[in-house]
Formats: sequence, C-alpha cells, structure tokens
Amino acid sequence: MIIKIISYLILISFFILVGCENSNELKKRDGLRVYQEAQMSWIRNFNPLSLAGSARWPTSSGIYEPLFIYNSITGEYVPWLALDYTWEKGNKVLKMLIRKGVKWSDGEPFSAEDVAFTFNIKSKHRALDTRDSWGYLKEVVAVSDSIVKFEFKQIYVPGFDALATQSIVAKHIWDTIDDPVKYSNPNPVGTGPFTEIIRFDSQLWELGKNPNYWQKGKPQINKLIFPTFPSNEQVTLALLSGNLDWAGAFIPAVDRVFVSKDTEHHKYWFPLTGHTTFLHTNTKHPILSDIRVRKAISYAIDRELVVKVGMYDYTEPAHVSGVSGPMSKWHSPYLDQVEDWTTYDPLKANILLDNAGFIKDKTGLRHTQDGSPLEFDIIIVSGWSDWIRSAQIVSQNLKNIGIKAKVKTYDFGAWISRMQKGEFDLAIGWAEKGTTPYALYKGMMSSEYLKPIGETADVNWHRFSLTSADSLFRKYEQTSDQKEITEIIYELQHLFIEHAPSLPLFAEASWAECNTKYFTNFPSKENPYATLSPNYPPENLLVLVNLMRR
Amino acid sequence: MNHSVNYLLRRLGFYFVAAWAALTLNFFIPRMMPGDPAAIIFARFRGKLKPEAMNALRETFGLTDEPLLGQYWSYLKSILQGDLGISIAYFPEPVTSIISSAFLWTIFLAGFSLIISFSLGTLLGTIIAWNRNGRLDSTLPPVLAFVGAFPYFWLAMVALYIFGFELSWFPLGHAYGNHVTPGFNIPFILSALYHAILPASTMIIVSLGGWMLSMRNIMITTLGTDYISFAHAKGLSSRLIMLRYAARNAILPNFTGFGMALGFVLSGALLTEIIFSYPGQGYLLLQAVRAQDFPLMQGLFMTITFAVLAANWIVDILILFFDPRTRT
Repeated sequence: MIIKIISYLILISFFILVGCENSNELKKRDGLRVYQEAQMSWIRNFNPLSLAGSARWPTSSGIYEPLFIYNSITGEYVPWLALDYTWEKGNKVLKMLIRKGVKWSDGEPFSAEDVAFTFNIKSKHRALDTRDSWGYLKEVVAVSDSIVKFEFKQIYVPGFDALATQSIVAKHIWDTIDDPVKYSNPNPVGTGPFTEIIRFDSQLWELGKNPNYWQKGKPQINKLIFPTFPSNEQVTLALLSGNLDWAGAFIPAVDRVFVSKDTEHHKYWFPLTGHTTFLHTNTKHPILSDIRVRKAISYAIDRELVVKVGMYDYTEPAHVSGVSGPMSKWHSPYLDQVEDWTTYDPLKANILLDNAGFIKDKTGLRHTQDGSPLEFDIIIVSGWSDWIRSAQIVSQNLKNIGIKAKVKTYDFGAWISRMQKGEFDLAIGWAEKGTTPYALYKGMMSSEYLKPIGETADVNWHRFSLTSADSLFRKYEQTSDQKEITEIIYELQHLFIEHAPSLPLFAEASWAECNTKYFTNFPSKENPYATLSPNYPPENLLVLVNLMRR
Repeated sequence: MNHSVNYLLRRLGFYFVAAWAALTLNFFIPRMMPGDPAAIIFARFRGKLKPEAMNALRETFGLTDEPLLGQYWSYLKSILQGDLGISIAYFPEPVTSIISSAFLWTIFLAGFSLIISFSLGTLLGTIIAWNRNGRLDSTLPPVLAFVGAFPYFWLAMVALYIFGFELSWFPLGHAYGNHVTPGFNIPFILSALYHAILPASTMIIVSLGGWMLSMRNIMITTLGTDYISFAHAKGLSSRLIMLRYAARNAILPNFTGFGMALGFVLSGALLTEIIFSYPGQGYLLLQAVRAQDFPLMQGLFMTITFAVLAANWIVDILILFFDPRTRT
C-alpha cells in the first residue's frame, strides 16, 4: 500500500518537473547559440591581453577589436579600428591612421591614445607581450588623436601582423588596474559589436549588443548565448536537436549525421585553411637525415587514401610546397620544373632506397649496410582517431617499400614533450601558420629555433636548418615591397621542395557548422566573405556583424 | 566509554598519517608527468602562435626552477593556510573558487545516488534474504548482476540516447535548465532534481546489485545463528527480528563498504559527468590532467582524499554505535 502511494507520488512529481521544464524551454529564441569552447562550467574572464588563460571566446571576437582583421579566405587585411597604414624611414617607422567616431561601450570616445596605451602596457608587463613585439619595437606613441606611430629598434616588417591584430583596450579603464596579468576583467568595456553581459552563470552566459557600436545598424542580432558542452558528442546532439546555431566541431560523416536531418537549415562548410598537416621527419635520425630516404617515404604514401580513410574526404592531399587552398597564390610559377615528391609513386620510392644502399632481404624488408632493419615509429596523440587512421595507412604504405613503421600513441603531454625534444622518428603534426608562407618556411628551415636533440624546441621539431634560407628570412624581414616579398617566398619554396625537411601530408581544413533556421547570412561556399569556423578570432568579428535574424 | 574515545582517537591519528601521505603523493606524482603546462597551452594553438609567446607564458605562470623539495615545503605551508594556488588552465582563477561549485554538484549527484543505491540495495538484500528462495530472490539478483556487468559508459550512453534524445523525457545534459537562476528558489531546485534523475538512475542501476548481494549473503549467514533462533523462540515479530536482530548485524560490512565506495564515487562520477555534461569535479579533473594544471589537480585530489577520510571517520562512529563489540 505504502509502496503504491510512494510510486504514484514519484510519477506525479516527475510529470510536474517535465511540465514546468518544457513550457519554459519552448520560449521563442532571440539569441544566437554558439559553441566554440569545450567547457563544463564557465569562468568569468574577459582579459584580452593575457594569453594564458581562459578568457572567454568573444573577448577577442566580439568585445574587443583589433586595428586590422586578417581575412583567411581572401588573404587580405580588412581595416577595422584603423583605416590605413604606411611604412616610413626605410621600414623603421610604421604609422597607422585610426578610425574616427568610435566609442567604447561605456560611452567614452576611442582614440589613438588607447592604441598606444595597449602596446605600452605590454612593455611594462612582459607576460602580456605574447607576440614578443617589444623584441623589435622601440616606442609606440599617439602622434595625434588619429595617428599612432610605431618606431622599431630593428627592422621587422612581419611584425605588422602582431601589431595589426592586437585587441585594443581602453586606457581609462586599464590605467587603474594594478596587475593586468592576473586581472580577470569581469565587466569588460570594449569597442566591439557585443559587449554587455546580460547574465553569467556557470552553465550558460549571454552577451548583449554594444549600445554605442560604431557600425550603424549593426549588429543585427540581439544577443549571443553560450551554453556549456564538454565534448564533441554533446555538441553533435545539440546541433541535431536544433539547440545550437553555430559551432566549430569536427563531425564524422557530416552529410549523413547532420545535414540529412534537415537539409534546408543544417549547413556546414569545411574550407581549406591554406595550411598543411605534416608527416614530420626527424632529420637528426641517422637514416632519415638522408634526403633520398625522406623523399622515398613521401613517394610511398598514397595521400588520396589517407584523406579518404583518415579524414572522411574532408580535405585534399597536400601540395608539395606545403601551402594550398587560399594560400595557393603563393605557389611559385616555376613549380613545373621541380620534382613533385608528394605524388604516389612506390616504384620511384623503391629506386631511391635502392640507390641509397638500403637493400631488401628475402622477407621484403630493407636493411642498412650493417644489417639493421629500416624501422621507424610514427607517434600520434592517443585518441586523435583521424590522425591515428592516417598513420596506419602510412604504415601500410611504407611496408610496401620495405620499411617497417609502427604507430605508437601517447598522451598529449607526453607527445608534445617528445616532439619538442626531438625524441621521435616520424610523427603527424601541424606546422607554423602565418598570413604568408614565411612563417611555415621559417619554422621548417631556420637555424633560429634549432635546438639539439633532448632540448626543448618550441618549433622546428624535425630539427633542420639551411644557411641559404637564413639569409632569405633576414631579407624578408627587412622589406615591405610586395614584389620582393613574393620573390623571396618563391625562393624559400624551392629550397623547401629541394630539401624536403618535412613531408606535407594533407591540406588542413577548418570545421564549422551552422543552423539557418533562426539566423541567416552565415559565410558559405557560395558567399565566402570570411571563414565560417568560430575557431578563428578575431576574423569571426566579420561574421558577427553580418549575421541576421530570419 | 573510555574505550570508544581511545578507539576514535586512534582512528583519527591513522587518518592524519593517511592525509599527509596523500598530500605528498599528490604533489610529486603530477610533477613526474612528461611535458610542461606552458608548452601544452602553446601547443593548443597548433602553430598559430609564434614561438616567442612561450616566454610570455612561462612568465605569467611563474614556473620556477626551484628545487622540488623547496616547492614541496611551500606547498604544504600554503595548504595549511587554505590556499590552493591559482589554476593554470583557468588562469587567473583561484583553485578554491573553481572547485567549490563543482564539488557541490558532485556531492549532490554522486552522494545522493550512492545513498539511494546503498539504502535501496541494503533493504532489498534484507528482504530477499528473509524470504529466500522466494520470487524476488530468484529474479532480482541475476537481473541486477546482469545489468551491473555492462560497461557503465555504454549503459549511460544508451540511456542518454533513448530517454534523452529519442524520447525527450529528460534533458540531454547540464545540471539545471537554462531558464532558471541558480540560488535557493523552487524552480531552480526542481530543475536541478529533474536534471539529476537520468544520470543518478544510471549510477544507481549499476551499483544496486553489489549492495544487495553483499547484504543478502551476510544476512543469510546471520539468519542461521543461534540468537536468531532464540529470538524466534521468544515469539518476537518477524519484522522485528529481520530489522533489529539480523539486519543490524549484517549491515556492518556494508557500512565499511560505504566509506570506501564514497571515494570511488567521487572520482568515478567522472564518466557520468562527461556523458551527461554535468558540471561536477570529475570533468574538471580530466581538464586539469590534460592541461597539466598542477594546482587544480592537487586541489581536486585533496578534496577527494579529505572527503573519503571524512566519510570513513563517520563510518567509524556509526560502527561504534551499531556494534557494541568495538566499545569494549
């Protein structure tokens, strides 16, 4: 009897709970629901200067704005808080013209003083100087309300990117902060389209429009809503059930899993970023130091199959130059005269290895002159299933030319530590990214970052350098002449292809999904005004000011 | 009475040593992991950061080359002062403020499901042992043992998919609905309860069988002893014998198990919290390990250790109360 009453009570209370829950959840949507960060509970941090942490995603893409925004799809800098720039005095001085009529979200006027202040605070607190700008800067001053002058102590033209894309903070606010490194900036004052924090709970927070935004009539949506999702599985479920409007998540078999559920509104766009995922080769390894072996390995890889099986066909085989997609404009015009060792040609691979003196035995395995077998480990981060599958195909491919390659997985911390110390033979990994291929080639071939095996090298894990490349990098850093820049990039590209310091595996794509049921004007293949992936602040500002309510 | 005080003091001394050992391991083990936190943050940007950023990062975290022993002493000192340091992954948030809310959610979810599963399991065990070879006794144990044998991860995923996604009876995740404001108000409490039902049920279902079987087995042994026959001979009611005579003795090993289970639950809620997007400390622990966030890891392990020790201490007191033999 008692048990019966209790079970009725439980049932009734359950329906009450469901009832009051659902009636509220069905309220009409008036905010754009975004997923960018995998978090279980939100920490209220909006510090745009410190890199260390956990500043929420809109900090640099919504609340604070840079001087110029680099558009990764068009490859151009879009004037934002600055209108124009000029290099003067043989590239020792950079002047930027600052936009007029911009206001901070608290109503105070924005001026060149704020820009100069932002850079000077980084000089005082070196922990904030995340791009080491004061390694080449001498001083930054506001010449007038609308002109900022950057003076260099040593000419470094590529430093423009760090200066242009820096989030600018308000002098009248940050002047009074004692320790800006540890300041969590709970109530941000910015120039961006979304600045007002409507609510902030551990599970969900909302960001409203800036009442004083300088682009009249924008933004056209009222607020952004950020629920927490700890993993990709949760994000996928939320996208399917229409609880998310914009996300940057990797979804396997996206057409079947996501698009087919609502072909009209469920969209995705995975554009190539221009960058490349590499099969890194440790050039200090006694066998891999031989260019012929590296090229043979490259010829042996069936990249079409790697992309199909490992990457769900979301991308394409790598270009031999290491750049593709929107970066293809940097391809040298003389590429038809160089050896394309990213084509699949096992025969050529075998010939190269025969010539290098690595002879096949009866079992089909190759040996060195002193009889030790050609054996390598390919190290991958455990759980990164797309790369693990890719590595398994590479391993199969290498077996066909008589090389034994074992796939070994490590926890991320252990993996990165091995990469940095050069304790690997082969590994799938990323390479340096920049607005031109200069960053990539510098990471690949400069002696500046070169460290002996066992010491931590933050880049150049494969440990390769060329003196001829070093002088080209110095030349590149001194010039702002577009024609000269292009010529240098071509020369670097030919050096890279000649020496194959590391092997481009497949082109990198960015992951992005959107649901156009409530909001429209997302970038897409048909309307590629910026990248769709929210993982590219501050470029995402371009999307946020263009989105519209349906 | 003196004996009891002595007994409790001895136990307390033991817990003190255990706490110190745990704190020490807690300090040294994370530091033996390969890699360093600044490198991991740098690597998260996958080449989008310039290598120069590393200097700024190391400066921010104040990562020192001070010898480990010196670091260990300052660690012990700050822990005694209640200062757990600043998190690296959630810089510049103090560890205590990150842990506190997560800890409450975990205690709420894991604690309640443990208590429900323990009481329900023990009660069922008592009943089926009393009516052994009855209908319940022949069905419940195999069924629950069968369910408990499933991998928890899989069971929870299936529950989430069927009841959350396909049928939409329960929310897909989170600890409370987005329309309520956290605080002491009815809508929030109802919403928190509603969100806890599915994750709690999965935890209860897989652990219920264990409690029930261990209770049943000890109960059956107890029921065969002379003092039970004597109680029957005295003509006492069945219910009185079952609960006050047999169950009271049989429950003692289960109590000890409860103290142990609390530790497993606090750390084992990790899977539940990940699958149901529950903002507890299990998920936080995973994040801390991934980011090599030493201060946060230490703080989490410390709360788990202290919670387990505290629970065992309470169990000691309870056993003192239930078992007169410990008092003499």
